[in-house]
Amino acid sequence: MERRFACTVCGKCCYGWLPLSISDALSHAHRFPLAVLWGTVRQGAKAFDLTEELGIRLDKKTALRITPIAYLPPSFQCPALGEDMRCTIHEEKPVRCRTMPFSADREMSDQADLLIPRSGWLCNTKSDAPVVYRDGKILDATDFIRERHVLQDQAVTIQSYAAFLLKGAPSLKAELGRQAKRPAGGQIVLKILPLLRKVADFDLADFAARQAPVLRDSLNRLPEAPEFNEYRRNYVDGLEELDRLQISAKGTI
Amino acid sequence: MTLCLCHSGLEFDACCGRILSGAQAATPEALMRARVSAFIGGDMEFLERTLAPESKADFDRHAIEASMKGVEGLGFEVRGQEGGGEADQEGRLEYVARFKANGQPLAHHERAFFRRENGNWLYVDGEVNPKAPPRHVEKVGRNDPCSCGSGKKYKKCCGA
Repeated sequence: MERRFACTVCGKCCYGWLPLSISDALSHAHRFPLAVLWGTVRQGAKAFDLTEELGIRLDKKTALRITPIAYLPPSFQCPALGEDMRCTIHEEKPVRCRTMPFSADREMSDQADLLIPRSGWLCNTKSDAPVVYRDGKILDATDFIRERHVLQDQAVTIQSYAAFLLKGAPSLKAELGRQAKRPAGGQIVLKILPLLRKVADFDLADFAARQAPVLRDSLNRLPEAPEFNEYRRNYVDGLEELDRLQISAKGTI
Repeated sequence: MTLCLCHSGLEFDACCGRILSGAQAATPEALMRARVSAFIGGDMEFLERTLAPESKADFDRHAIEASMKGVEGLGFEVRGQEGGGEADQEGRLEYVARFKANGQPLAHHERAFFRRENGNWLYVDGEVNPKAPPRHVEKVGRNDPCSCGSGKKYKKCCGA
């Protein structure tokens, strides 16, 4: 089986949540409002084993995929998307963007459906587009393999963070268990700092100085509509946390 | 015209300047803003005089004077308030005051408590870096994109 694909630079995949590696989250902290996404993958799903390898097991039937994300509402375009729909940070763009339309979070043999454009996307999959995937193999897997390696290398950090939170926050564990049972699945968005604290050489002051203005700006750009309330709350929570940590003045004024 | 040190955007004389020179602060917020302006401007007398009597013993003029050296105000943001109205004798104000000290940005986040005496609002005490109630489970959407970043719905992607 062959699949053809060529990007037409329509920019349609550059919207909303963008999974980031820990390293990309840190280097783009001045650009994206950050959060951590916890997603459940059930036993029996094709991505189950890989999810456990790169993430952690919640219980017998559920694996957790845990990833930093650029936390933007689905209707918001990437801040790095140019007016001509080209990426303005092509040279330094996240590994997730480089691998699109493939995903290193899934097995290489399980990528065929990712080459079917999502509704509204203008990807070229006609006969004039090159073959990019054949018999379960990506023909030029350079970016895919690079992303997979990044995910494998950070797995130990993700696992240490996840084990720490699951142990310390029983309500989180219970909520994830409930989400896992829903047919539509369930995902949870958490603050990113507890994860970053697990990173060796993490420079909190530097991170806060780069991330706080982005959170403030993202907050200001949210429309008043109730559908954005969760984003508002999460941005405010993130800001408050950074404020708390930035304080070095002693006592009261 | 000189803009007020509390970054209200108002003229100093129409904002904290009035209160620093003796006018009554109408609300805890007005008092707190004036205290921040006094801190930036080095008005120790004002800081001491607007403290509740029981808090004056803790007032360490030298420590404050040392900590305000080279401080520049960057903003004052109200996060929440209770009471503090015309009919109230007490009020709470949660705020974040932002400064730059020795080139480093810093934020002072406090939930402060105020009491009215003889018509004047006084600062009683405050909790610095008040803890927000734990809240971390936020978002569960029916049609959220899958966590693998494919752009597909979870139920048609890794949830299939």
